[in-house]
Amino acid sequence: MLIMKRRAGESFTIGDEIEVEVLEVAGSRVKLGIVAPESIAIVRKEARVTREENITAARPMDPEAIAALVHHLWRPAKTQP
Amino acid sequence: MPQIRTAYFGELDYTDGTVFQFPYGLPGFEREHAFVFLQQPHTQPLLFLQSLGSSHLCFILLPILVADANYRVNLDAEDLAALHLAPGRQPRIGEDILCAAIVSAGDGERGPTANLMAPVVVNLKEQIGMQVIQTDSPYSHRQPILAGEELAPCS
Repeated sequence: MLIMKRRAGESFTIGDEIEVEVLEVAGSRVKLGIVAPESIAIVRKEARVTREENITAARPMDPEAIAALVHHLWRPAKTQP
Repeated sequence: MPQIRTAYFGELDYTDGTVFQFPYGLPGFEREHAFVFLQQPHTQPLLFLQSLGSSHLCFILLPILVADANYRVNLDAEDLAALHLAPGRQPRIGEDILCAAIVSAGDGERGPTANLMAPVVVNLKEQIGMQVIQTDSPYSHRQPILAGEELAPCS
């Protein structure tokens, strides 16, 4: 992983067409401005991960796997040692 | 009474009053705007989020407090507005909202997991729902359901 330090107002480029500028640093949050061609999708990583999880989750689940899951969820909770 | 062909339970009757609107769909399924929640005695406590428009599309959900009894949902101002919830306070799970995690069957190596990072949240009064993608969430998008004895947030 490439690591670099940038201050607010400074920027960096990725390839010839993408520029990322640090607009503001406030507490633990950084505000970024991104210039990129329209063909490049820019999404927050959580959104991408969720999209991928949803597509996996939408596949039909085997009835036996559902039954096993239900069985597990009904298992009485173990008492604390 | 209208009927719906479901992915898991054949044809079922439903009433318009049980349809929930998802104005934004769900990530990856942005064109699916209407769902019904299905529950069957033999599949409790799981919930089934069945698309009204696509009979093959049905998400299996785990009520969030079953996954983690101490779960805290964190909706920002935009989420609250989108769900027509009162601003300025977090809604109560089970009273104001239904909150549930989407279950993924996993593959051969990985058992079933639940996405606790991005739960499905529904305003029970207004019947509006969305999947809330929480930023800075302490919860995993792949929380194993079968692995440990207890489910716990990964920190």
